[in-house]
Amino acid sequence: MKNIIIIFLKEMKDILRDRRTLILMVVMPLVLFPLIINISSKFMMKLETTAKTKILRVGVILNSNDDRIRKSVISRDDMTLTDVKDENSIESMINGKTLDFCIVFDEQFDNKVKTLQQGEIRLYFKSSAKNDISKRRIDKLLADYKNDLLEERFRILELSTDVVKAFNINEKDIVTVKEKFGEKVGGFIPYLFVIFCFVGAMYPAIDLGAGEKERGTIETLLVSPATRTQIVIGKFIVVTLSGIISAILTFVGLYASVKLNSEIPTEILDLILKVIDVNSIIVIFTLIIPISVFFAGILLSFSFFANSFKEAQSIMTPLNFVVIIPAFIGTLPGMKLTATTALIPILNVSLASKGIISGTINNGHLAMVYISMFLLAAVSLIICIKWFGREQVIFRG
Amino acid sequence: MIEVDRVSKRFRLSKKQRREMGENYSGGKFIQSVSDVSFKCAPGKIFTLLGPNGAGKTTTLRMLGTILTQDSGRINIAGLDTLKEPDKVRGKIGFLTGTTGLYARLTPEEMVKYYANLYGISGKKYIEKRNSLFDLLEIHKFKDRRIGKLSSGMKQKVSIARTLIHDPEVVIFDEPTVGLDVITSRNIIKLIRDCRDEGKTVIFSTHIMGEVSMLSDDLAIMDRGRIIFNDTFKKFKNEMTSATIEDEFVRIVGGEK
Repeated sequence: MKNIIIIFLKEMKDILRDRRTLILMVVMPLVLFPLIINISSKFMMKLETTAKTKILRVGVILNSNDDRIRKSVISRDDMTLTDVKDENSIESMINGKTLDFCIVFDEQFDNKVKTLQQGEIRLYFKSSAKNDISKRRIDKLLADYKNDLLEERFRILELSTDVVKAFNINEKDIVTVKEKFGEKVGGFIPYLFVIFCFVGAMYPAIDLGAGEKERGTIETLLVSPATRTQIVIGKFIVVTLSGIISAILTFVGLYASVKLNSEIPTEILDLILKVIDVNSIIVIFTLIIPISVFFAGILLSFSFFANSFKEAQSIMTPLNFVVIIPAFIGTLPGMKLTATTALIPILNVSLASKGIISGTINNGHLAMVYISMFLLAAVSLIICIKWFGREQVIFRG
Repeated sequence: MIEVDRVSKRFRLSKKQRREMGENYSGGKFIQSVSDVSFKCAPGKIFTLLGPNGAGKTTTLRMLGTILTQDSGRINIAGLDTLKEPDKVRGKIGFLTGTTGLYARLTPEEMVKYYANLYGISGKKYIEKRNSLFDLLEIHKFKDRRIGKLSSGMKQKVSIARTLIHDPEVVIFDEPTVGLDVITSRNIIKLIRDCRDEGKTVIFSTHIMGEVSMLSDDLAIMDRGRIIFNDTFKKFKNEMTSATIEDEFVRIVGGEK
């Protein structure tokens, strides 16, 4: 036990001095998240605000039809009427950024509307993220006009508007905020921590296995009185802990990015913090432990097999996909923890976390996840110890 | 004392390795690295294991260090069987190779302390041994610098301190001067002599003839996994039929047939 502690402390000190490990294990989840979320939300908010407040240049070609729309445009503060000579010049004006939207009435529009036929309006615009938000105002303008015309028709025909509404649906959704949040965002959180748990453990694993072989330190360590099992366990704890720290820091980074984000309204922020309660977080953390042990076993085994840092990296990079795919499947809507999915590693933790956040977790399934993950973690540790004991692996090539 | 009795070791070859051996290779799935090797190293003497590359020297030394286990035969180190009590055997061995085997992100102080801890050396005993080694090797002035930033000579000094921190009875040097400059190599040669003078059992492998004549008390020549000469260095010199040690070595291993 003493040797395990000595090896663990030394390896921990060693990897914490490694810049690559620190960036992947600490900086990425802790700094990158708040940064990405803050920048992207600020960007989105700015886009939305400018799109909403922009004074739109709207052209209207009436073709001798009723001028109600034209008057509506003139009367609005957020729109300005722009002269458009003919329909052929619209495209060049929009491309030249002198016009945002142009409403063109068909020559027969009024006649058709009066004879209860369908009139036609052509709406010219150039779609973009920003313009699509602005378009909502034009859509509303046209929808209001359409409703006015419909009401006129009903009046002329002496009908009630209820004639076209056979029934009215009064929706009573009993879903709780927690359930809704869990379903929509619940899958995303485990997706992130599972991936960061893996990535955070990857570099320490490479460094403590293949790195040790490449530096030629493995030989001197093997000649020390520490047994191979002690060496593996000492290293194993470091890799496991790196995964756990990464996953926890992902949480902290996410929490900080949500909490420090001034763009999120206080009521929504309170709601998020209420939904992700302390109990849920504790239960999720207990799932991180076996998955980190499982990752540590796989990563260290591959790392011991490789002869160099580079070889280990090339072996482990495809492994990222093996982790990302089940974690991603867990984020898909409708994916739930069942007796079958509870036995699929990574996917089970992802789905269990989703269920915990939404409060819909089945305790029997959760127990199955724990049992299968702890078994798998134990197996991965045993395989890693056996693997490290093989001369063909340590002195391969 | 080291006693090696009829030790053999073979390795399984991967398909790739078999392909790399060339079309003429017909040795099957295994390659015999060490065949029926026996020798004895006495305390207070330097035992030299001489041989060309691929002769099986490193495999033999790794078996002495319990890093590898022999397929057959018996190895006894300081009265302990390497298969029965490998952990205890390792406690009695100091192992130094040409590749320094140091952790770049640790300081010499931390590196030596790490190994002292693993060998169970602590407190006053550690301080005394560390100070004497750091004085002797002049490590004090760079003891707190990261090893990655040290010169190869400084690194080799740290390696020596790491090898000797637990005052081992048996010291194994596996081609310790490979790739080192003249001054650093001389330090190693001096260290090997010092170990002998302190009464330790010293075994070192080399393919450098100059080192053989400078250091050897006893000599074994290995070729293709077998011991083809095993006696005192004095006897080797007396029975030489060639003009130089190098010529005699080439003659014995049949290099110029």
